[in-house]
Amino acid sequence: MKKTALMVLIALAVSGLAFAGAAAEEPAAAKTTGFEWILDGEVNGLPEVNPLAVTGDIITAGSSTVFPLSERMAERFTDEGYAYNITIDSIGSGAGFERFTVAGETDISNASRPIKASEIEQAKTIGRNPIEFRVGTDALAVTVSKANTFAKDVTLEELAFIFSYAETWQEVRPEWPNQPILRFSPGTDSGTFDYFVEEVFDKDSRPILSAENLQLSEDDNILVQGIEGSPYAIGYFGYAYYQENMSTLNILEIEGVEASQANVDNSSYPLARPLFMYSDAEIMRNKPQVAAFLAYYLAYVNEEIIDVGYFPANPAALEGARESWRKAMAGTY
Amino acid sequence: MANTKYFSDDVSIHKKLRIGELLIHSLLLLSALLSVAITLGIVIILVEESILFFSEDGVTLLEFFTNRQWQPMIQEFGILPLLNATLTTSLIAVVTAVPIGIAVAVYLSEYATKKTRSILKPILEVLAGIPTVVYGYFAITFMTPLLRSIFGDDVVQIYNTASAGIVIGILILPLITSMAEDALNAVPNSLREAAFGLGATKMETSLRIVLPAAFSGLAAAFIVGLSRAVGETMIVALAAGAGPNFTLNPFEAAETITGYIVRISGGDIGYNTVDYNSIFALGLVLFIMTLILNMVSRKIVEKYREVYD
Repeated sequence: MKKTALMVLIALAVSGLAFAGAAAEEPAAAKTTGFEWILDGEVNGLPEVNPLAVTGDIITAGSSTVFPLSERMAERFTDEGYAYNITIDSIGSGAGFERFTVAGETDISNASRPIKASEIEQAKTIGRNPIEFRVGTDALAVTVSKANTFAKDVTLEELAFIFSYAETWQEVRPEWPNQPILRFSPGTDSGTFDYFVEEVFDKDSRPILSAENLQLSEDDNILVQGIEGSPYAIGYFGYAYYQENMSTLNILEIEGVEASQANVDNSSYPLARPLFMYSDAEIMRNKPQVAAFLAYYLAYVNEEIIDVGYFPANPAALEGARESWRKAMAGTY
Repeated sequence: MANTKYFSDDVSIHKKLRIGELLIHSLLLLSALLSVAITLGIVIILVEESILFFSEDGVTLLEFFTNRQWQPMIQEFGILPLLNATLTTSLIAVVTAVPIGIAVAVYLSEYATKKTRSILKPILEVLAGIPTVVYGYFAITFMTPLLRSIFGDDVVQIYNTASAGIVIGILILPLITSMAEDALNAVPNSLREAAFGLGATKMETSLRIVLPAAFSGLAAAFIVGLSRAVGETMIVALAAGAGPNFTLNPFEAAETITGYIVRISGGDIGYNTVDYNSIFALGLVLFIMTLILNMVSRKIVEKYREVYD
């Protein structure tokens, strides 16, 4: 009995020492400025980043649409030497802002819609001033299964009918089959859903949420799988998920316009929308790794974005994002 | 004589304060109290948040139990589609698992030789150790395509309650088998011997003597299996569908109570929104359902228990 108690005491003492040791080491690391990663050169108007010299973890969360792009940028950042953890949670734009503005747990919030005024207000209550960085453009893809041989294009009006009260395809167009429509949509907390409701249903989510045979999921792969599963299914999501699944899905033309770089650039594709990242100047200054990742992201995003499945933002918007970065960091390095 | 003296006269052994014993005793009491406290805590939180939900504008108990639509975002608060899907998957699960489970139990307890038993039982127990997420993918990648190839792609949707239900059945099979087997083993051998003595065959003994004698245990196995199926989450979240749908067709996609809770709470919900509060009300309903099932199973065991010896 005594022996056991003694052993417990010893174990406690040892763990206490280890703890003290760890605590003692930390200030030593903090003596550095944290900006050792800044190289002399410049890339696209931003200081060149040396990922090898970046220290500390980065926490991001938000849009599942931005996720593949951020994942690619993080991969490249890590491949070039960044040795810490970067978290990218794919939970939807709304939930991402929730974490960024209420709990303040994240350094960067990914979003497929602009931040709302109410969210900015909320951020201010915890001392954060969100800064917007435009990183690219998405063309929302409305897709059907490859097995669907009849639908090639829809108008916005038909799209609204398909995603609400239409029971069968025939009700939409007489030449289409008399089969029930199976609907797949991103969940109610995703920016993609918000955007779709705004563009197609004029901000009223009631019609789509009352639809029968509606499957909602924040996981775009569940949607892809569902749409592939039946010739009478239809769904929508970010262009990247279509590009990944081109072999099993068909994309529909909207109002006779195909989703392509040219049509996104001249804004003739009706469902093109901006992709954003949000951070805060305080965070970027106090956590240089966040500033480093953003600088790296904004400098190289156009080298990766097409491969991921989105379209480059128009040059003025991207330049605006770089300017915001320079402003936020002015005088710190 | 020596024994009597040891127990009755040597009183000092009772009076002596034994610290070790006392310590163990209080530790054990503490852990018992802890589990009660945790249960109470969960119930309190569930009730508290549910009250928040029901005090929300437009939410009434009547609507909660009669409205056939569930979309809290647009003020539709009817639990029926979710409840219906939960009952559908659970019923399919017990209908799959109970007959097979009892048959396996009869075989193991009445027919199997010691050697086959010693091989079969561990294999069956492996089933119980498979993580439910694996069952979920099994449902999507094996059971659904199987159902679709039998009944046709147009009839069976890619997400459907039948596939999820059958796979939950496989999940609860070991549970039902082992409970049923315990019930059969508890039937005294004298009954079997009496039956054989009267000239009954093995089948007659098993079906007419042993099974009825073990009825209460078998009923309890059924109910425990059902309550496990009601609470199953991962399989339905993956395979049953992700949208509330009030339908009796098991080949259609329909979201269960647990499926909705897991989809809404999967990191993508605003605190203190009506969606968030709604999942506590749903959790409370689930809790009450399983509580009732457990109470029913206790009552059945008490009422129909055949006492021998």
